[in-house]
Amino acid sequence: MNTIFFSVLAIFSLFVFMNLGKIKASKKQTDRDDRINRFGSRKARGSQKKTHSTIIEGEAEVIDDEDKK
Amino acid sequence: MSRHSALNRFGRSANPAFTRGFENHTGTLPLSERMTLDGAVNKTGILLALCFSGAAIGWNIPALMIPGAIVGFILALVTIFRSKEKAGSTAPLYALSQGIFLGGVTLMYENMFDGIAIQAIGLTFGILASLLICYKSGLIKPTENFKLMVAAGVGGIFMLYMVSFIMSFFGSGISLLSATNGSLMSIGLSLAIVCVASCCLVLDFDYIEEGAEKGLPKYMEWYGAFSLMVTLIWLYLEILRLLSKIRSR
Repeated sequence: MNTIFFSVLAIFSLFVFMNLGKIKASKKQTDRDDRINRFGSRKARGSQKKTHSTIIEGEAEVIDDEDKK
Repeated sequence: MSRHSALNRFGRSANPAFTRGFENHTGTLPLSERMTLDGAVNKTGILLALCFSGAAIGWNIPALMIPGAIVGFILALVTIFRSKEKAGSTAPLYALSQGIFLGGVTLMYENMFDGIAIQAIGLTFGILASLLICYKSGLIKPTENFKLMVAAGVGGIFMLYMVSFIMSFFGSGISLLSATNGSLMSIGLSLAIVCVASCCLVLDFDYIEEGAEKGLPKYMEWYGAFSLMVTLIWLYLEILRLLSKIRSR
């Protein structure tokens, strides 16, 4: 009985592995900011959506209240 | 290098051993030359089949157990440190030689405790499938902290094994690691080791998933399957030891 139970468990588990392994993981798993960065090319999810930098480039100007007047 | 690309590279290691040039590969290879989940799973199946074939040889000729272990160990080192690209030829040989070793070890345990082998095989594959379900559904999320904890655990276990191995030359050893020590402490230690080995499986799943997502070269399918096999073999041996400790009580 013991042998049959563990044999069935092994065969069923292998079947699950061979089928489920080929399916892509859920969005909950893949779309995370805290994933392990193994290959060094992942950017934060928030920054991927941005199409351009939010840094405004240019020279700083001193605004003088006296000039406004 | 522009200011923005310099900022993007900030804090990243320049050591080629860490990057291994995968940044150049990602997403630039033709589809047929990219790593896929299908390929990695099929190759794991091939390695498992080879491992079972080797186990049948080791079961019938136990004298081959030690040579099988040594050859497997050398092949593992070659695959990890020398040539990931050649994993397609080294990984099947590794699975076969480790299978021979496992066949001999399993026979030893089976002679001590009847029916222990099938229990260990069932539990190993059971853990594999249940963790895969947990990983795919997003129930277990491997993060950098998770990786650090597992690495610390594996490092600790490695040190323990090394100390026990060195002590064995002087006629003693760590009794907690003995397969016939049925004390609660010993069983608890084995249980903890099984947990760490199981967590390594999650890291392997994530490695394969990310590799396929990034479109790494095809040979990485063999490497992913190989790393899964290494963890599975370790997990099987630890479960075998845990069961034998429980049966010794």
